[in-house]
Amino acid sequence: MIAGLGLLVGIILGLMLQPDVPLWLEPYLPIAVVAALDAVFGALRAFLDGIFDDKVFVISFISNVLIAALIVYLGDKLGVGGQLSTGVIVVLGIRIFSNVAAIRRHIFHA
Amino acid sequence: MAPEHTRSTTGGTTELPPQATMGLLNYLTAHSLDEDYAHVSQRQNAGREPQQPRAGLAALVILGLFGLLVATAAVQTSRNAGSEADGNKQLATQITARSAQVDARRSRVTSLRAEVDQLNTQFLQTTAQGRQLTGRLSRLGVRTGSTAVTGPGVRVVVDDNPNATGSTQRVLDRDLQKLANALWASGAEAISINGLRLSNLSAIRQGGSAITVNGRSLSGPYTVLAVGDRDSLPARFVETTHGSAWLDYQSTYGLEFEMTTEASLKLPAANGLKLRYARTPGESR
Repeated sequence: MIAGLGLLVGIILGLMLQPDVPLWLEPYLPIAVVAALDAVFGALRAFLDGIFDDKVFVISFISNVLIAALIVYLGDKLGVGGQLSTGVIVVLGIRIFSNVAAIRRHIFHA
Repeated sequence: MAPEHTRSTTGGTTELPPQATMGLLNYLTAHSLDEDYAHVSQRQNAGREPQQPRAGLAALVILGLFGLLVATAAVQTSRNAGSEADGNKQLATQITARSAQVDARRSRVTSLRAEVDQLNTQFLQTTAQGRQLTGRLSRLGVRTGSTAVTGPGVRVVVDDNPNATGSTQRVLDRDLQKLANALWASGAEAISINGLRLSNLSAIRQGGSAITVNGRSLSGPYTVLAVGDRDSLPARFVETTHGSAWLDYQSTYGLEFEMTTEASLKLPAANGLKLRYARTPGESR
């Protein structure tokens, strides 16, 4: 309940403020969103598993976002930015899918 | 639920970590949940009753941050898409503007060319020597193909044998060359083939299966217009070597050949004529 409220407030804030993303940060925003999505789904699964913890969620969220952005940044510097982002997306995508599958099992018991 | 990676030693051999034995994809699916959740809950619940987890203020803030991130990314993406569409529209307007510009320049070129011609004749008319030159220039212009010509003449239409089976029954470059040479020899002053004026630098060549004149490909039927004395041209044509050769082609190979006299023919100027040796004084090559 409280979590949904936070999400709603964040989305409304983003839509209302429409913050300007600096140009150097722009390429890392999509990958950061995917990483954050992974952390959020992981947290939801942990919540349903009964092992959710605030601290772990905060740390996993921030480190996920930072590491994803860092990998892409490093790739850009090495000239393999596109390939590395693809790799990150694939890994995070697999994780998101299996986490969502676990959540689905919890909710629908199927 | 929480996968354990323990390094148990069985029978003296060390088991490899799961990353190495499972394969990357299997490992990814099995360890999709952050292992820290399991570790922390194990540590906290050691000796205590398991309790229902609660999302606190930190989770609220982080989820708010997540919402902000998603909204910002969406806004940014839609903004970029808008600017891309703008760019396409700008390019399209630029293209139309530029092509209009090209058209305007082209018409300006034609008007300037006409002006140059007019000034040329005006200048030449001022002196007696110039007047003499004008006559010579126009005569030469007809011969070299640099000026358009109107006058009486003959129209010759030639084409392949309708039932052609081999190359001998088709019109080849050398046949057209012979035709043009025969017309020159029988007193033609200006010749064009399918609307392309022959200058004294024109080449009639075979380019693949097509015949090229002045570097442009033609296809049959070939209409050859020749300006000259229309009363004597056909008679003299038959007397020339190449003219009689063409009559042979007609009877032997079945090539189509038709000559008619015309009261007025209009031949354009040859394209791509350039000065090769003359230049204005002081201009370097």
